[in-house]
Amino acid sequence: METLIGFFSRLFGLSADGVLPLTLAYSVCIGSLLGFITVYAMFAIWMERKVAAHIQVRYGPMEVGGWHGWAQSIADAVKLLFKEDLIPDGANKFMFWIAPAVVFCGVFSGFIAIPFALGVQIVDIHLGLFFIVCIASVEVVGVIMAGWASNSKYSLFGAVREAAQVVSYEVPAAVALLVPVLIVGSFRLGDFNAWQEQHGWLVFRNPFAIVAALIFFIASLAGCKRAPFDLPEAESELVSGFHTEYSGMRFSFFFLEEYASMFVAAALIATLFFGGWTLPFVHVSAWPVPFGIVILLAKVFAVIFMQMLMRWTLPRLRIDQVMAMGYKYLLPWGMLCVVGTALFEAKGWRWLPF
Amino acid sequence: MSGIRDYFGNISDALTSTVKGMGVTMQHFVSEPPITVQYPHEKLPMPPSYKGIHILEQDKCIDCKLCAKACPVDCIEIEAVHHGRVLEWQKFTIDYKKCIFCEFCIPPCPKDCIHMTSEFEVATDNPDGMIEDLLTWTGLRTEDRRAIDAAEAKRAGRAVEEPKNGGPAPGNPSPAGTEFTSKFAAGTWGAPGGAPAKADVPGAAGAAKPAAAAAGAADAGGLAAKTAAIRAKLAAGKGAG
Repeated sequence: METLIGFFSRLFGLSADGVLPLTLAYSVCIGSLLGFITVYAMFAIWMERKVAAHIQVRYGPMEVGGWHGWAQSIADAVKLLFKEDLIPDGANKFMFWIAPAVVFCGVFSGFIAIPFALGVQIVDIHLGLFFIVCIASVEVVGVIMAGWASNSKYSLFGAVREAAQVVSYEVPAAVALLVPVLIVGSFRLGDFNAWQEQHGWLVFRNPFAIVAALIFFIASLAGCKRAPFDLPEAESELVSGFHTEYSGMRFSFFFLEEYASMFVAAALIATLFFGGWTLPFVHVSAWPVPFGIVILLAKVFAVIFMQMLMRWTLPRLRIDQVMAMGYKYLLPWGMLCVVGTALFEAKGWRWLPF
Repeated sequence: MSGIRDYFGNISDALTSTVKGMGVTMQHFVSEPPITVQYPHEKLPMPPSYKGIHILEQDKCIDCKLCAKACPVDCIEIEAVHHGRVLEWQKFTIDYKKCIFCEFCIPPCPKDCIHMTSEFEVATDNPDGMIEDLLTWTGLRTEDRRAIDAAEAKRAGRAVEEPKNGGPAPGNPSPAGTEFTSKFAAGTWGAPGGAPAKADVPGAAGAAKPAAAAAGAADAGGLAAKTAAIRAKLAAGKGAG
């Protein structure tokens, strides 16, 4: 970010704190981020279909584009963009129109605080972790707007379920995220990378960190509305939940949002528990920047693969099971992890020899 | 106490079942090759009893129209002119838009000359191409004409000579009947004298292809050519066997 501002101020011979270089730098960042999210979402959708197909002992898309149907997502995206934009009769037009944007903005904002490599971070927020957790909640508002504005009972059911589920699971997720914060002593995401480059992966710091990582993984699945927690869009019960009435480009925004929030959750897991762009025993910070990006993306896609495997393994839970899971199991165990980690850190205990 | 046991039992159940299930899916993902077939590129063999499109052994057929009468959706249309026992074929069409592949047309046939193949690809984007002519020739072949001529000559001759010979010559009962032994072999199908309409369809379609207006005709020709090739192949197999 600072590099870009410097570049533009030098390009136009302006001072670095002027409005124009700042605007240009932000535009470039946002544009490249949008492009990245779109390309990533297309790849992730193709990957999801292939993973699902091979788990079910079939091929998945094989025709479009030649090699294993790699262009299937591009074809789907083009189709979605050119479809008619339907607004149901009796819908609240403004809310219906703005809801996908709200949903997407919530997730999109989460991307700006993720450190992709040393210095590759759009805004180095001091409370970066806190920011991501908070801004991800904006999505719920958008989903409720979508469900209510659709003037459809299925949509409203989906939205209410989404509200109940996501708000519930933010609590164990946030509690689980306190464990790395306790160990590192900072909310700044860059600090987690620096700390783990020095001390090794945080997930091996103490036994409670492993449990915390598991809890955050499960809670993030629920936060992304992924199976087995896909109650807000339960196909067998609610047609497709809160986006039943959406079509074309607006629908594609909801789709994009799901995969983007998967990326944010996976990036958080990778950064907080598995070293982010660092590797154990070597100093990635001394390497060129692309290495860091590749390492982070590899870790992120490993986590995303686990999310997909989970989706195609487990059946959907009932709503009471989802609530019981959140409040009776994840939350107490998350708190136990915080207390245990605090104890370990206060006493200086180690459970592994390194 | 049982509440606590339930609580921890639930946790261990959830963990073990999830881990076991993910192991199963992972095993499928890694080691099991897909069992599905990439249909247009590779095809599974259809069983011989499969009820697909029809073939007609035209030289056995006697134009009795029993198959057309048996058809519950009236999709078979037969037209032929009778010259004694020799038939001048006009058309024998099956409308595959209507056909329900019920196989009711097969059992009534007294000559056992209509069959169903295991070929099932009749889909086309041109509805006219769905009306399929089963005939391999129309009109009269040269041998048919010869048979008719022979029969007429015989009748004329018999009218004159009958009082002398007192009956037809032994071993030559019916001139038309001798012609209609099994000609069900690929070589005899494109016989000379056959009407050009059927035989020339693939060629005509090929010639018409550059004309954009004839796209539909080309498509119909494609289906006709395909089914004709299938029938020729089946006939060759049957002749060899």
